[in-house]
Order: sequence, then structure tokens, then C-alpha cells
Amino acid sequence: MLNSETIRLSNGRSWQVYGGGTGPALVWLHGLSGINPGDPMIAALERKHRVIAPLAPGFTDLAELDEIGNIHELALDYDDLLEHLQLDGAILVGHSFGAMVAAEIAAHFPRRAKKLVLLAPVGMWNDAYPVADIFAEPFIMVEGLLWHDQEARAALAARRSNEAGPQSDAERIIAVAQGLTAITKFTWPIPDKGLRKRLPRIAAATLAVFGEKDSFVPPRYAEDFAKGLREVQTVVVKGAGHMLPYEKTDEVVGLIETFLAA
Amino acid sequence: MKFHWFHLMPYPELPENFKTDYRSVWVDVPSSLFDPKVGHRAYNDYLDELEYAESVGFDGICVNEHHQNAYGLMPSPNLIAAALARRTSRAKLVIMGNSVALYDPPTRVAEEMAMLDCMSGGRIVAGFPVGTPMDTVFAYGKSPATLREKYYEGCKLVLRAWTEPEPFAFNGKYTQLRYVNVWPRPIQKPHPPVWIPGGGSVETWDWCVDNDFLYANLSYFGYLQGQKVNDGYWATVERAGKELNPYRCGFLQFIGVAENDAEAERLYSGPALYFYQRCLHTYPGFGNPAGYTSVPTMRAGIESMVARSTNRNAVEGLTWKDLIERGYVVAGSPESVVQQLDNLANKMHVGHLMVLCHYGDMSKEVTLYNTTRFAKEVIPKLRNKFSEYEDKWWPTQTLDQIAEPAPLTAFV
Repeated sequence: MLNSETIRLSNGRSWQVYGGGTGPALVWLHGLSGINPGDPMIAALERKHRVIAPLAPGFTDLAELDEIGNIHELALDYDDLLEHLQLDGAILVGHSFGAMVAAEIAAHFPRRAKKLVLLAPVGMWNDAYPVADIFAEPFIMVEGLLWHDQEARAALAARRSNEAGPQSDAERIIAVAQGLTAITKFTWPIPDKGLRKRLPRIAAATLAVFGEKDSFVPPRYAEDFAKGLREVQTVVVKGAGHMLPYEKTDEVVGLIETFLAA
Repeated sequence: MKFHWFHLMPYPELPENFKTDYRSVWVDVPSSLFDPKVGHRAYNDYLDELEYAESVGFDGICVNEHHQNAYGLMPSPNLIAAALARRTSRAKLVIMGNSVALYDPPTRVAEEMAMLDCMSGGRIVAGFPVGTPMDTVFAYGKSPATLREKYYEGCKLVLRAWTEPEPFAFNGKYTQLRYVNVWPRPIQKPHPPVWIPGGGSVETWDWCVDNDFLYANLSYFGYLQGQKVNDGYWATVERAGKELNPYRCGFLQFIGVAENDAEAERLYSGPALYFYQRCLHTYPGFGNPAGYTSVPTMRAGIESMVARSTNRNAVEGLTWKDLIERGYVVAGSPESVVQQLDNLANKMHVGHLMVLCHYGDMSKEVTLYNTTRFAKEVIPKLRNKFSEYEDKWWPTQTLDQIAEPAPLTAFV
């Protein structure tokens, strides 16, 4: 089980922050399913890093989003947290929507990111290969679309239910709905909120990883990120879907560690 | 009781195989299915039918707003109301209504409805729906997480724009205007009656009761299914200590009046099944996007929500017999229809009944037959129901002298 603590900022905001481990500071910005008690990706990253994994605003309480009107205010919200934690120049690693957030933090406040890792990042739009409209899928279908490896999906669900008790279908669907709701302000109806024109502001060397079988964010978005970033390495992981950090955990962690060691 | 003739304006020529070969009647329905020549005929027939409803004695004629929808060809109900304002003079124009959150700035709604109130001589009812997810978040791209808040702010702005005598500045979360000063002004003071169409969310009941707006339960599933929603609404009215006046509530019902049950089936089963099988064929993913329904509401209604997200078609395999037995369609002889509607009015405590005498691909001839029989043989039997209550949700300031379109004379 992961450690977590509640951090209260002087502006009144409070954050739930997970993580542990020792080593260089690494901020994990989670994807659509939030942070789960036995998150294997965080556990794997903790082997060599001090992981700081904040739960994105809205994932437990949608009211947290009342005063966050757009992606810029979201970037400010994270900047306040990083300032409080005295994290200047951390490694930012994000998955899915979290990768969009990581890129936006690094673009708005370049000194916050020493290195940047984007796993199946949302945040761009290309007419030639649009991202899928997961908002227009019945909630119960969404997880199936995000995962390519359905066995890995079942294994993670089983592990989660061992650790935190079984989750009913209804609660699972509500969790999906709440996660999607929390990101609508920043991704509706198209997740392009100007990241493309801000990418050149990012100073950190970047690793962008895509899943070959991602049916939400097509791997061709590697080209779009490669074009905009100053120093970037792109990788497409064979046989992985959008949930690539959970479908190919060892491979993805290996890529990250090699990139960070370089 | 008052009776209002409601038109959805469906596209009348969806193919037979629509349900099997197409994903959705709404949002991404292929435009290749729309023939503008069919559209020309449909709009003109539909306007004739609405105007005819006035001539046989309906109290109101209703229009509504849908977008990218093959069963609702009225992206702008105000255009249709404008056309109706010229050729009618007595029936109230019930605009059900304008989805306020879709308009930037929302004062556009205040302007157009004020125009319509002037043009019609003070005959409009101003409906303000939140709007379905299909219309608002998919067709018009509004974020479901902020839609309702934007809607409330917009409604307040429209009402202020109608009632404040001087120009004012509006510094809202969603709209900022330095000068709000709507011209023209509505005839009805302080403003036209406000009706709120809804489908059962708790927030809407409170919104109506707190502001004394009429709540209109617009269900396609008849009074037997609609009962729960009305019960919830009346419980809210009662809790607030307000009068249980049936005129603060409206309900929509499909109707088929005929000589007897057999004729009703012959005339109306085709159009009704066209509606339930083709027009209600909406992709389930469009029905409940994240954020449109609050998490507490989801938690409360979780069973139905789970069912909705897994069930491809709640209307799968419906037959005419099902439609009648479940009360989706109230059909039969005039006596039978009177008896069913009397039952409906008692159970649901509804003073304003909106009726669909046209649905699906019903021909004009059958529509006028249904409309005539309803007006002549049903309305008179129920007219005095609830006469002990005062209807405070109805236009009462209509001008005595309504301007008539001048004859077209040739200038030579």
C-alpha cells in the first residue's frame, strides 16, 4: 500500500499526495483512473526515486475545480503545490491526462521540470488522426477502450480488489465518470488547449512514449510532440494500449530509467 | 385544464433500415439522409398543422430546440415561432424553449424572445431548458461540467435584462457585459411566463419551485413512467410550502384519437413505431456524458444508470400493444382518451397538457384528423378540470387588438 498525506497550502487548497522511496525527486502525474492504493507503476518508480504523486483536482472532490477555470489556472494550481514542496527542477512523469498536465507545467514554468516523461500524452489534436472521443462512450465501455491487454487489466483489477476490497460494477463506473468529469474542463470537446504552441517553451529534455495499440491517443502523435519539443526522444511500445504504464510496466520503467540515466 | 399542441418536427423519411444500419438519430446522423426538398414540404406542412391547432381551439402551440437531430428539425424554435406569430392571433406561442447556455451572450435569447412577444402581441411563453447532452455538450461543444452553472447564470441575466429599467453592467463567471440594455422589450410585465422543461433532476425541481417557474415534464414514456418524476416535483413544492396548483406543472403525452381501438391502431401504430424505433435510436454514449449528471445523482440512481450504459436500446422490440399498455401513447375512442387523460391529470396533478398529435412520419391528413377529434371531442370534456385554481403561469397581457398581416396589394 502506498503512503499518502494531506498537504494544506496557505491559499486554502489541500492536496492528497501519495508516494515514497528515496533518490531524486520524481513527480508522478496520474492518468484517468487516479491513484490506486497498490499502484504498481508508482511502486516501480519508488525503487530509484522519491516519488511525489499528487491526486489531480476533482478526482475525489469535484468542488476543487470550482475556482480552476482553464488549463492555465490548472498549471498555476500545480505550481503552487510544487512551490510549497520546494520542488524546483524535479523529474515530471505523466500518463495520459497527467502527461498533458506535466507538459503544461513544464511549458508554463520551465524551471519546474528538470526532465520530462510523457506517457501516452493527451493535449494535442491532428485532423489527420484525431484522438478518440472517449466522452461519447458509455462509461462501462471506457476501460475496455483504454486497455489493449485485457489480461493485464483483469490482473490489476484482481490485485486492487485483494488490497482494497472488491469494487462493485457501480462503484467502478462512478470512478470512471468522476475521473472523466474532472478532466472535462481541460479537454472538452477537443483536448487541444494550445499546448502545441507552448511546447517550444519547454526547456527540459523529454521522453515521449506511445502505445502501438493505443485506441485513444494514436501513436502518430509522437510526430506532433517531436516537432514541437526542443530536445525529445520518442518511443512507440509494441503491443501496448493507452494504459501502457500498467500493461508494460517493466518495459516502460526501463525506458524511463535509461532516459534519466543518460 | 389547458391544452397545447406540440410539434417535434421529425424528418419524415428516415430509411426502413435506420435502426440497424445507422448509429444514432442524433449528433452524428449522416447529413446524406436529409433531402432539402423533403425538408421544404415538411416545414410547410408542420407550420400548417401548428396553425390549424389554433383554429380548432388549442390554448397554446409549442415549439422546441434540438440540434443535429433527425427527429427535431428546429435548431431555432424562434424562427418557427416568428412564422407562427404572423399567421396566428389567439393561441399562445409556447417556446419550449431556448437553451440559454448555448448562446453567447445569453442576451440574444432576451432579445429574440422580446421580439417575439412584441410581434405576437404578448403571446409568448418563455421556456428555458438546460438542454439534452446531445444538443448542448455534443452538438454545441459545451463542457458538461459547467453547463448547468452557465445555464443558471444565463437565465438570471435574461430575466434581469427584461426587468431592469436602466442599462446595467453584468460581471458574471461566464458572461461579462459592460452594457446590458435589451431592445425591444417584452409586452408582458415583468416578463413572459417562464417554463422549465426537465426530465427529473432534483436541481431543476428546486430551481422551479424557488423561482415559481412552471415545471414541464417532457417525457416520451407516458404518464405511467412519468409519475415518479412528478411525485418528486410535487414533494418539492410541498416542502417549500407553496400552493399545490396544477398549473405550475406541465406534461407531454402522445395522443391518438380515433373511432375505436382498431382504427387507432390502423392510423397511429405506424407513426408511433417510426418514432420509438427510428427517432429514439440514439447512441447510448451520447446520453450521459461525464459531468452532465452529478455524482450524487448517479449514486442515487445507479441501477438505472448501469442499465442505461449497457442497454443498447431501451425501446428494443416495442410493439403497438406495448405502447398502449405502458401508456406511452394514449389512444382509442374519444371516451377512452378522455378517461385516460382524466386519470393522468388526477395522478400527476397536471394543469398544462402538451399533446403530440403528430409523431414519426404521420401524414398531414391523419394529423389533422387526430387534432380535430382531440379538439372537438376530448378538450371540451376536460376543459373545466382544475377551474378552481388560478393559472399564474400563462400569458394574461395579450393585446386586445392583434395586428393582422395586411393583404398583399399590387402597387401599380
